[in-house]
Amino acid sequence: MIKFNLNGRKIETDAPPTARLLDVIREDFTLIGTKEGCGEGECGACSVFVNNLLQNSCLIPIGSIDGAEVVTIEGIMESDQFKILDESYSEAGGVQCGYCIPGMVMASAALLSQNPHPSEDEIREGISGNLCRCTGYNMIVEAINMAAKKGDGLWKKQ
Amino acid sequence: MEETIIAYRFDRLEETLSQLNKANCAIVAGGTDVMVMHKSRRGVPPKITKPIIFIDHLLELKQVNQNGNDLHIGACCTYSELLRDPLIPMPLKKAIKTIAAPAIRNRGTLGGNICNASPAGDTLPLLYVYNAKLLLRSVNGDRIVPICEFIQGVRRVQREPNEILTEIILPSVLEEGAHVVFEKVGNRNADAIAKVGFAGYIRTKGAVIEDVRFAFGAVGPTMIRSNEIEKKLLGKTIPVTDMDIAKVVAAFDKIIKPIDDQRSTAIYRKTVALNLLRYFLTNSTHIQHI
Repeated sequence: MIKFNLNGRKIETDAPPTARLLDVIREDFTLIGTKEGCGEGECGACSVFVNNLLQNSCLIPIGSIDGAEVVTIEGIMESDQFKILDESYSEAGGVQCGYCIPGMVMASAALLSQNPHPSEDEIREGISGNLCRCTGYNMIVEAINMAAKKGDGLWKKQ
Repeated sequence: MEETIIAYRFDRLEETLSQLNKANCAIVAGGTDVMVMHKSRRGVPPKITKPIIFIDHLLELKQVNQNGNDLHIGACCTYSELLRDPLIPMPLKKAIKTIAAPAIRNRGTLGGNICNASPAGDTLPLLYVYNAKLLLRSVNGDRIVPICEFIQGVRRVQREPNEILTEIILPSVLEEGAHVVFEKVGNRNADAIAKVGFAGYIRTKGAVIEDVRFAFGAVGPTMIRSNEIEKKLLGKTIPVTDMDIAKVVAAFDKIIKPIDDQRSTAIYRKTVALNLLRYFLTNSTHIQHI
């Protein structure tokens, strides 16, 4: 049995140790906000936090994260930071088809919590592991910039 | 009936080593290569035939320390951890920043990049010019191997089944007058596998070249380095003359034999590799003059 913490809840799973964290959270726990894009760590659609660090859940064998804290997009939806990101993405027009957005929002939250006032280059670096095929990125960069300003003081430096 | 997958995750390196001595296992550090290599269909766990042993959480493999002139880097330090560590030299940090993207840098390890022995391994050209040495540990004891002997070919390394790569040792990283450069050419800034990688090292005393090293990645089965060609420049003064640059470039032209694949063509790779060498020799030997 592998035990870890998922969105603040202690959970156990009998999935094999090589099962991808992505499959376990989507299929065993029906947390389907986390998406599968490439399945090879190149698109960021499956981004989650493991022990507060942004990671690609498609590359994580669950046997390696015994005892870890995993947070998915569902786990941050009630936070004030999420609300600011939600508003900013809408206002900037950062969402079109929406498939990449849970991963983008996770990457945005990871960036802002480490660097509450990022430059444009730093924003682009922060989301460099996330692919979006609709927006051409500029509106997403604008959304993150807006979230940094609107949420000033909310993103505390870790 | 599904096969049971056996996996171990011990708290200590010692227990891990004694398990490795009992059975041949697949060692998994960050897993960023292993999980892609053995990828299966959606919802189906990657198929790894050997028992698995996870090592990326072992604290013994996450230390960085300076020992005299040598820098010892724990094999399971993630790229993000190395970027934050004040002991890691700037050229290595610069190289790490070109690897993947934040999410993978939070998982991928330096030791994993070495043991995976990809011809395009991002950190490898730089580790070759640093003359990196690798500390391998087993229940029988330790041994140290230069990286150029450890990596033997495409995904082939000289590791005994009961050994773990525990430390990467960069000798004399603090040497004065040394200038180190790393360049990577890929399709996308983030998450790209290199088409060409290049690292150059030059150390001068006054205007005299005391040591010079070059390594090329992704243009052969493993990194290309040539002590013979490097020797041609020892004792020369900087800036290196156009004639000497042409000689060195021509010598590498003979031994760099890249291939065509889905990422690039042989001709492109060779042209870019030699251009990077020429650029390094033209520019880096001027910087030293200031």
